Amino acid sequence: MSRESAAGRAAGDAETDLLRVRDLSTRFFTEDGQVNAVESVDFDVRENEILGIVGESGSGKSVTALSIIDLVDSPGRVTSGEVWYRSPDLAEEFRDRGAGVEGDLVDLRTVPEGVRRSLRGPAFSMIFQDPMSSFNPSITVGEQIAEAVEVQRRARANPRSTRSRTQGYGLGKYLLDGLLPGRDYVDEASQARAVELLEQVGIPDPAERAEEYPHQFSGGMLQRAMIAQALAGEPDLLVADEPTTALDVTIQAQILELLREIQAERGMSVVMITHDLGVIARMCDRVCVMYAGEVVERGTLADVFERPTHPYTQGLLGSIPDLQDPRPRLQPIEGNVPSLLDAEMGDRCYFADRCPKAMRDCLEKPPELDAEGSPEHRAKCVLAERPYDPDEALSPGHFGGEGE
Amino acid sequence: MALGRFLLKRVLQGILVVWGVITVVFALRFVTPGSPINAIAPLDASQETRQAIAEELGLDQPLYVQYANYLFDLLRGDMGFSYIKGQEAAGLVFQKLPATLELAVAATVVAIVLSIPLGVLSATRRNEPVDYGATLFSLGGISTPNFWLGIMLVLVFSVQLNVFKTSGRGVGFEDVVASVFTGDPFLDTLITWLSFITLPAITLGTYFTALITRLTRSGMLDQLGQSYVRAARAKGLPETLVRYKHALRNTLIPVITVLGLQMGTLIGGAVITEAVFAWPGLGTLVIQSINLRDWPTLQGSLIVIGAGFVVVNILVDALYAYVNPQVVYD
Amino acid sequence: MVLDRILATLRNAVSISPRVKRNLQREFARSALAKLGLVLVVAILLVAIFAPFFAPHDPTEQRLNQSQLPPLGFSKTVETTSSEFVDGEITLVNETTTVAAKPEFPLGTDSLGRDMLSRVIYGARTSLLVGIMGTLLAALVGVPVGLLAGYHRGKVDDTLMRIADVSLAFPSLVLAIALIGLWGRAAVPVPDPFVAAGFAGEMPATFVLPGTVIIVVGLVNWVWFARVARGEALSLREEEYVKAARALGARNNRIITRHVLPNAITPILVLGTIQIAAIILLESALSFLGFSGTTLSWGFDIAQGRDYITSGQWWISTVPGLAIVLAVVGINLLGDWLRDALDPGIEGEGGGP
Repeated sequence: MSRESAAGRAAGDAETDLLRVRDLSTRFFTEDGQVNAVESVDFDVRENEILGIVGESGSGKSVTALSIIDLVDSPGRVTSGEVWYRSPDLAEEFRDRGAGVEGDLVDLRTVPEGVRRSLRGPAFSMIFQDPMSSFNPSITVGEQIAEAVEVQRRARANPRSTRSRTQGYGLGKYLLDGLLPGRDYVDEASQARAVELLEQVGIPDPAERAEEYPHQFSGGMLQRAMIAQALAGEPDLLVADEPTTALDVTIQAQILELLREIQAERGMSVVMITHDLGVIARMCDRVCVMYAGEVVERGTLADVFERPTHPYTQGLLGSIPDLQDPRPRLQPIEGNVPSLLDAEMGDRCYFADRCPKAMRDCLEKPPELDAEGSPEHRAKCVLAERPYDPDEALSPGHFGGEGE
Repeated sequence: MALGRFLLKRVLQGILVVWGVITVVFALRFVTPGSPINAIAPLDASQETRQAIAEELGLDQPLYVQYANYLFDLLRGDMGFSYIKGQEAAGLVFQKLPATLELAVAATVVAIVLSIPLGVLSATRRNEPVDYGATLFSLGGISTPNFWLGIMLVLVFSVQLNVFKTSGRGVGFEDVVASVFTGDPFLDTLITWLSFITLPAITLGTYFTALITRLTRSGMLDQLGQSYVRAARAKGLPETLVRYKHALRNTLIPVITVLGLQMGTLIGGAVITEAVFAWPGLGTLVIQSINLRDWPTLQGSLIVIGAGFVVVNILVDALYAYVNPQVVYD
Repeated sequence: MVLDRILATLRNAVSISPRVKRNLQREFARSALAKLGLVLVVAILLVAIFAPFFAPHDPTEQRLNQSQLPPLGFSKTVETTSSEFVDGEITLVNETTTVAAKPEFPLGTDSLGRDMLSRVIYGARTSLLVGIMGTLLAALVGVPVGLLAGYHRGKVDDTLMRIADVSLAFPSLVLAIALIGLWGRAAVPVPDPFVAAGFAGEMPATFVLPGTVIIVVGLVNWVWFARVARGEALSLREEEYVKAARALGARNNRIITRHVLPNAITPILVLGTIQIAAIILLESALSFLGFSGTTLSWGFDIAQGRDYITSGQWWISTVPGLAIVLAVVGINLLGDWLRDALDPGIEGEGGGP
């Protein structure tokens, strides 16, 4: 049950790239050492598409998303890479100011921090896994959505102000608004719009529900509210981090359907992060597979599902029970996810210790190679270029001493 | 409205507690060594006075009758007669109440105004010099006995620098307000009032400033690590709002809880502060009445203190319900 | 037999698991403040226990001709005005004399000529004894009551909470003052073991323990322990192992002592350290106001020194106060260490001065 509309578009059409991520690395500098959460990640997000990022916990998919919108908290930091975003206005503004600009694309890592911050809401927005903990429990849902609307309103009215350190709203203004009656950050028009948004995401009695608190909503309803909040800024790119994992199965289907409708209506791009291949199959045009902080394979849905090249992808697909073709047993992937501590990672293919097709060449880090299928299909594996050769296989006990 | 019902419940509970306080105070009479007459009469009372007291107390009547009489008297505002001071106990108590209220309110205002910004600053600039300074100050503040602090403040500011008064309460806040309407010079009155109240207010307020700073700091650090803060930033909300409208609000919830629990400490602290600065309030009255064996006044003061404490707790609960609406629905 | 049971219960309650030990050690190594706290507390404990050896003089010995000497490094000027007969006329003569410190009284003397250093050292005994014994009393009363209320719930629990509310309705200091006022300032003279053994001959043979104060501070503070113990019992009774024990037919008391108590001990311990600090402050406040049974106390010295602030003898009040601050800071730092190591989620600050 894969989407068809993607087939209508020209594959590999670089003119419609909304976001290009190149060589992005994010590290966490903790007491226990340096953790390489995201390592040299490359991928693109087209306009009007749904890109899936799939991987287990600890694969780095959430951190990648946070890195794009610059929400990585200390002790973490984006240490290198480029995040190219298509914005003719920004390109115009920063072309001669020493930032990275190519055509209409601007490298967000080279512009001031204030600019990146001001893009949250109007350009990028994100929804999270657990709606109950993503809302402030002591403020009404309607108010919180209205805040998001207000951010957008103010950004449009006065674009430069939101780039300042205080984003155009500092402590002085806050105290003033608090002390003087009738003044508030959130405008009445924004509150009305918040109610509209609640309606658009399918919440009944939106005006009443806007006055309620998060704990009065069910999980599914609250997730809809979170989507409404994310749409308030009319973003170009919506990042959805495991949006349905915490929900019941029937509600999951509803939420995914809602996301699809919204995406189609607005021509928005969505990055869908999940560990559930079923969701990927249902929703996405193209897919990235992540493991141990790297993108190990990427391509169109057909590429990855029908012609998986990297043994990890094959393993993931092989772990799904198939009712139409029952095999005697499931094929799990042996071993455990590796530690991401810099000191413990070797300079080899990170999957080699669990790979049933590991060869001697795998002791060196493989570059990203073109794989069979569409021109977009790439994999970080030597098997993209040549078939498995048992003679060069590594002995099963080769990595015996590492981890468990 | 759920909030109204919640408050009503609290008020009813409060009345119950005040009733408990009155009962305990009544029982104190019978706990003193010797007969209850000793609890009322001064040591050198004549036989006639003792007889009069015995009759008034109705000691010949059964216990529950005495108790009922005591309650009814209280409801009429009669706290008994102070044979030591020669006037109605209720009069004495209510005369001294405003001074204590003034001191308590001043100290609380000082504490809140200083501590919350300091706590927030400390959390947002963690491990920077501001944070270290605030942490050291808080540690010192909760470890310093406030009477000693008062004496040291007097030593430095009154004796050496001669900026503030050493003791007493020459001018009250009501005088400052009144001077706006009467012909008295407003600024002079204000300055005189400040010269009397500043040191006592700082002395009483320091413990709470330190306590609230500590709590605010740890609460903020906790909240700033929560998911909803990240979600708020993800939607582009200005950092000011993230910190103050969102994180601080949830930080204040446990802070207000602890504040409520610490009201007793505030009152105890007021008693000591009044002793240090000869501040003519309820605290001084309590100590005086113990030393003079003036039991009616002591009992009256204890009841008023207990009742005041209950009222303050209800106010704190109301404030709590405002910042944490969930509690209203439980 | 009963004693064995009690000891076993205590040992069980205080048994420390290896993981807890590791947490404690790690937190200690990380935190400079924890080390400072330990140093301060150990120092004060040693000074208090071995007071007769540390104190240079008998703290109660008065030397009226050497009163009001300043501490080392400071000097005091005294202006005296006297009238003298000069040339047949009575005139007022102002004399300014400087009084220097004497090295045998390093922290000066008070208005009756008693050595400040010795008084501070002995004062530590009073504060620590009252603090520890008061806390133990409060805990011994509060913890069982709280555990029973939280475990059995129902009417017992409700009654307890009402009593707790009423108890807390009285600010602890006011209640303490009222009780001491009513019951008097009973003092218990305790013979000093070191002097009795013949080691420090010139020191006072008995040490005065302010009995009423200890009982009163224990009584006003038991509620804090009851609350914490009740909270723990409430949540622990839902644990699987408690339910299993009940299903196996174990008696309630046994369940409480063997299963609930050891797991509730952590927040109780943390509260205990906070309480010791709070009681030390409470005791000094009571002494200051004149409601203690002993005069060898930090609070008392601060009170007597207060009258001399305006005339220049600042050290009589200042020195004992500094001692209080150091003691309480040390205990608070230790409490912070315990809290950070054992359970950073504990809500703090119970009790106060």
